[in-house]
Amino acid sequence: MIKTINLSKTFQDKKRGEIRAVDNVNLECQPGKIFGLLGLNGAGKTTLMRLLSTVLKPTSGTAKINGFDIISDPQKVRANIGFLSSDTALYPRLTAQETVTYFARLNGLDEDLIQQRTDELFRIFNMESFRDRRVDKLSSGMKQKVSLARTIIHNPKILILDEPTLGLDVITSRNIIQFIRKAKEEDKCVLFSTHIMYEAEKLCDEIAVIHQGKILAVGTLEKLRDTVRLKNLDEIFVKLVGEEHEF
Amino acid sequence: MNSKKVKIIYFKEMKDMLRDRRTLISMILVPILLFPILIFGMSSLMIKMTKQAAKRVNPIVVIGGDNAPALFSQLKVDKSFEIVPESDYQTALKDKKITAALEFSTDFEKKIDAGDSAQIKIYYDAAEIRSEMASGKLDNLFKAFQDSVVTERLKVKKVDRSLLHPVKVQKENLAPKEKMGGFFLAMFLPYMIMIMALTGAMYPAIDLTAGEKERGTMETLLVSPASRGEITSGKFLAVFTASLITSIVSTGSMVITAGSSFTRFEEMGKGAVFSVNPLSILILFLLMIPYCCLASSILLSLSLFAKSYKEAQSYLSPLLIVIILPAMVSFLPGFELSARLAFIPVINTSLVLKEVLLGTYHWGFIGLIFLSTTIYALIAIFITRRLFEREQVLFRT
Repeated sequence: MIKTINLSKTFQDKKRGEIRAVDNVNLECQPGKIFGLLGLNGAGKTTLMRLLSTVLKPTSGTAKINGFDIISDPQKVRANIGFLSSDTALYPRLTAQETVTYFARLNGLDEDLIQQRTDELFRIFNMESFRDRRVDKLSSGMKQKVSLARTIIHNPKILILDEPTLGLDVITSRNIIQFIRKAKEEDKCVLFSTHIMYEAEKLCDEIAVIHQGKILAVGTLEKLRDTVRLKNLDEIFVKLVGEEHEF
Repeated sequence: MNSKKVKIIYFKEMKDMLRDRRTLISMILVPILLFPILIFGMSSLMIKMTKQAAKRVNPIVVIGGDNAPALFSQLKVDKSFEIVPESDYQTALKDKKITAALEFSTDFEKKIDAGDSAQIKIYYDAAEIRSEMASGKLDNLFKAFQDSVVTERLKVKKVDRSLLHPVKVQKENLAPKEKMGGFFLAMFLPYMIMIMALTGAMYPAIDLTAGEKERGTMETLLVSPASRGEITSGKFLAVFTASLITSIVSTGSMVITAGSSFTRFEEMGKGAVFSVNPLSILILFLLMIPYCCLASSILLSLSLFAKSYKEAQSYLSPLLIVIILPAMVSFLPGFELSARLAFIPVINTSLVLKEVLLGTYHWGFIGLIFLSTTIYALIAIFITRRLFEREQVLFRT
């Protein structure tokens, strides 16, 4: 599971001064649940996820991932998560098979297990036909499948997915949604960020609304509805974030 | 740090690198082809030009040829010259219709016969290479004529010719023929190999850092369980390998090219024999190891700082000049290795490689330079490693 404790990250910007990209965030995501992080562009979703993946170090506070601290045990944290975002691209000159094998090896899997896992994943995602094709020769849908295989090759208990459907066509987006549902069935803890309301409405067990680095509300959809007394998630979101963002 | 992970990253980077056409060109193709093209092309051009110049007939104007009938008839039969009837020699010279003009003084023959000095004027254009060469040829012709006149005059006076040369200077080149061959290589090889080691590693260094940032693969790697130290080490070793491969390929290509082109130089009368001592080559590679380490980590650090391929290229171009200038000391005569210079990176390696290729082994200097360059390389590697840990560098916006 994921538990953040007063997690904060500030950046220094020459023009704008100090920016609190993540401001005192306390969240808890449980296994077998899909946790949605809902926010506008620049709300702090990506920074929060980068902190959890240990790519960035927090300014203050910390988080525990599967019991491992993101500050003192970053390597163990990374071994326990599958991280996917629009910024995690693939090596164009490697083949699909080489890509997945490379990350399996970095995750410390032995060769027999790698063979077994890649065979399994290539079958599940229907990737056999382009197994030995270079990534730069793949369509964006195929690339997304390779990325998913790369993310879960080591069978992580926790999935952190930063806007995984961003810029994808309908079919590929559906595949990703199915993939997230399946991960939930496998009792994985899924933290998933999006700015598409219906995706969050359809998928998430719990939703956190993040704005200017702060968590404005957190809970099940029902709980959010009760709090704000509105039915649709987009209305709830606008109400929480503040109407000044509307025209 | 887990050496197994370093190995995994290293082999992946190597595979990726060898599939990149740009890297292959700069790492293997350029060093193989550069020297043959440079050396054979240049020497062929030189030989061709010299031969052409020797064959070329120079049109000249002779004024007052009748004043010196003996010389004039000699000029007429000389195949290097063609006497043309141009009245305005100045315009003709300007228009390149003639290469030179000659003027014999009116009393030329009389003065020679009387044992006096007679005058010949050569008009030429020093800014024109062909005119300059023609005047040189005329000079030689008149020197030979002068020499024959002097011999004749001395004979008449019954004076021995040795009176004119009280001291005879004899110069003998004691440098073994091998050394003459090595001299050529010692001038060029250190400079060339040091540049090539840098250019060969340049594309891989950019590709593995700024290139990864630009393509978005850096974050994919950073979220893997590999530590920053393991990532830096794997990438560093891959760039270092590229640098070393380029050095080896360049040295091989240059030694072979120089060896086969020496037969051509012999044609030109230098008489040098080409040979390289295997010990020299061994020491050369030993000294190139810390240099390649230093170059690779500087390249990695600078390109890691860049956000894109283009930005990295603009950072690395000035670096090339910073290395080219000190590496050129192997060209400069009189620049000798000293204890102080042994601590200046690039200059030290360039100078010691020159000595080693000439067959001079100052073991103290070789050891000192190996050690000092290794220390600089370690510092540079440490800095690269620290840069990899800095968010501001990895996620510069």
